[in-house]
Amino acid sequence: MKTLLNIFKWIILVFFLFVALYPLIWLLLASFKSSNLELQQNPFGFPDQWMFINYYNAMVKAKLPSLFFNSIIVALFAVTVNLIVASMTSFVISRENFKGKNIVFTIIIAGILLPIIAFMVPYFSIIQKFKIYDSLLALIVVYSAINIPISVFLLTSFMESIPVELEEAATIDGANFVQRFTKVIIPLSQTGLATAGTFCFIYAWNEFIMALLLTSSESSRTLQLGIRFFTSQFVTDYTAMYAAIVITIIPSIIIYFLFHNRIISGLTAGAVKG
Amino acid sequence: MKKSNFLVLALILVIAGTVTGCKPKEEIKEVTLQWPCIWVGEDSKAEAVAALVEQFNADNAGSIRVEIEAQPDYDGYEQKIRTSIAAGIVPDVFTMKLNPTTKAYYESPLLMDFSKELDMGWSKDFNDGTVSQATVDGMVKSLPYEVAITPVWYNMDLLKKAGVSSYPKTYDEFLDTAAKLKAAGIIPTSQMTGGSNAWTSMLWYSHFLASFGGKNVYDNPFEGDAYVKAAEVLLAMFSDGNTSRDAVGGDAGVSGGHYLAAESAMFINGPWYIGRVKGDAPDVYAATEVGPAPAVGSNSGAMIGFLQTNFAAAANADDPAKAAAAVKFIKWMTKGENVAKISKQSGALFAVKYDASSIDDALQQKFIEASNNASFTISHLAGVVPADVVSEFGQALGKMALGEATPAEFVEMLKKVNNQ
Repeated sequence: MKTLLNIFKWIILVFFLFVALYPLIWLLLASFKSSNLELQQNPFGFPDQWMFINYYNAMVKAKLPSLFFNSIIVALFAVTVNLIVASMTSFVISRENFKGKNIVFTIIIAGILLPIIAFMVPYFSIIQKFKIYDSLLALIVVYSAINIPISVFLLTSFMESIPVELEEAATIDGANFVQRFTKVIIPLSQTGLATAGTFCFIYAWNEFIMALLLTSSESSRTLQLGIRFFTSQFVTDYTAMYAAIVITIIPSIIIYFLFHNRIISGLTAGAVKG
Repeated sequence: MKKSNFLVLALILVIAGTVTGCKPKEEIKEVTLQWPCIWVGEDSKAEAVAALVEQFNADNAGSIRVEIEAQPDYDGYEQKIRTSIAAGIVPDVFTMKLNPTTKAYYESPLLMDFSKELDMGWSKDFNDGTVSQATVDGMVKSLPYEVAITPVWYNMDLLKKAGVSSYPKTYDEFLDTAAKLKAAGIIPTSQMTGGSNAWTSMLWYSHFLASFGGKNVYDNPFEGDAYVKAAEVLLAMFSDGNTSRDAVGGDAGVSGGHYLAAESAMFINGPWYIGRVKGDAPDVYAATEVGPAPAVGSNSGAMIGFLQTNFAAAANADDPAKAAAAVKFIKWMTKGENVAKISKQSGALFAVKYDASSIDDALQQKFIEASNNASFTISHLAGVVPADVVSEFGQALGKMALGEATPAEFVEMLKKVNNQ
């Protein structure tokens, strides 16, 4: 009976592993196919001929290297700004007692539930008014702002799990409000910061619609717009586009592999009392 | 000493300038027009359009400069234009599809009204009736540019292989042809329910509507027998192996892909697809004939034709120089000789009068003939109903094709959204 259960468990696990990995494998194989026609006629098999040229086209035609650079700049600065703002907010919410604290927290967290489409016109107007349309700064500002609710949610939960006694000891030793934040809470919140930062990074890396809306020239475009270079109103070069997608998902995978332990522990912080 | 020398020199220069009345020449300010453009990247018009813009910039160096903002993703582009206009910021020059949803743009004072310019003789450059199609409440806030007809594409090699010598002109002939094609292992028609508007099948449906309801079928959308009868025929296209198994849920890549792979014998799309077929499937290109859909109702020989893309511009009421520059640029783009260049390269057809004799593409010529031979031409369904109905079409069609809705229920679903 136990063996049967084990076999069943493994069947379920292998099935879900297949479901999770198959799209990536399919994407990888498709990126090496010779044409849309081959993709149509042989969607699931190996390519007749391995077309490494698709990757060359992706890099050269869509100018991926410069877009790659822009995406890295945008994602890193967005993460930095986001974490600075969110960590300070979370510190106050998790550590200080003031009137309306719960209301402030709820209002901030409510931002998680709002669809991105609701922000399009306001953000477009604000960015135009600030005269930063068509710049990387516009994307940095917007991406860091959009991710504040989720970052505050994660960091507040995490900071609440840090024992108050540590801060009290620092206070006895003469630490002021700022020092308690920078010398005690921030060093102990690294896991939470890594979790929130990873979420923000992946969002900034994969975001498309705001990048399309808030930029116009090649010099301020990001990778996700570069991928669309292979589409047009009526025709899409799928194989080159898939090659570009494979290239662009690599950093997200690397970031996740580097931080996955911290992400999991950061997400579960405060979940169990005791 | 040095300081006093400098002061003397400066004084002399100031006096000299004042006495001689020399002023720095007033610089002519260059007007820059931003054009979020969809004809870039892989688009068949990209090269010709880029060359024309470059030529315009060279001819107007120092006074006008047009800068193309590449917008290859069409859905994203439409979203950007909608958001810009909603935020009160209109691109200097842009293109749009004129439909009931985008007609709302005409209410915005931010868009330029070309009426006066057209009255001054420009309207003669456009094909008859096209400007009136772009006129709403006496205003022409978008100029007709690219037009399209979407006949049925027939792969005659496949028909002959199945023992059919000419393409079907009636519904009975279609059923007979479909039976022979299936017997020969060929998919009779390409269909789809996916994408943002189930494009290919929406066009089939529009052809059937024209056949059942005639040229006035859109006067009362979703009212009358024509809509249900056309839905019954469309359902037949999805039944008994008359289309591919992946049609339900399939997108334009699926429907077009089967035709390109010579797996399906009949397909519908516009002239912009010519370049794709020619490049990817030259044998299919050589075997393709185009014509009206089989007459399933009392009207035969109807064609589906529509304004595909219109030019529009920001009113720029506070900047007349920019407004004038936009008009000058659009006039350049609508010049017959320039339109001919784009048409020749891309296969696209235009609402502007131009000399088509230089077009040597055989299939493009067949399109022009099909357009000329049409008994009448009406728009496709997506061009006359709001965007919500267009989105619902694919969903409703999928349900009908899966047997979850009858043709009457299919029409009712669309009608309900249309009336909301």
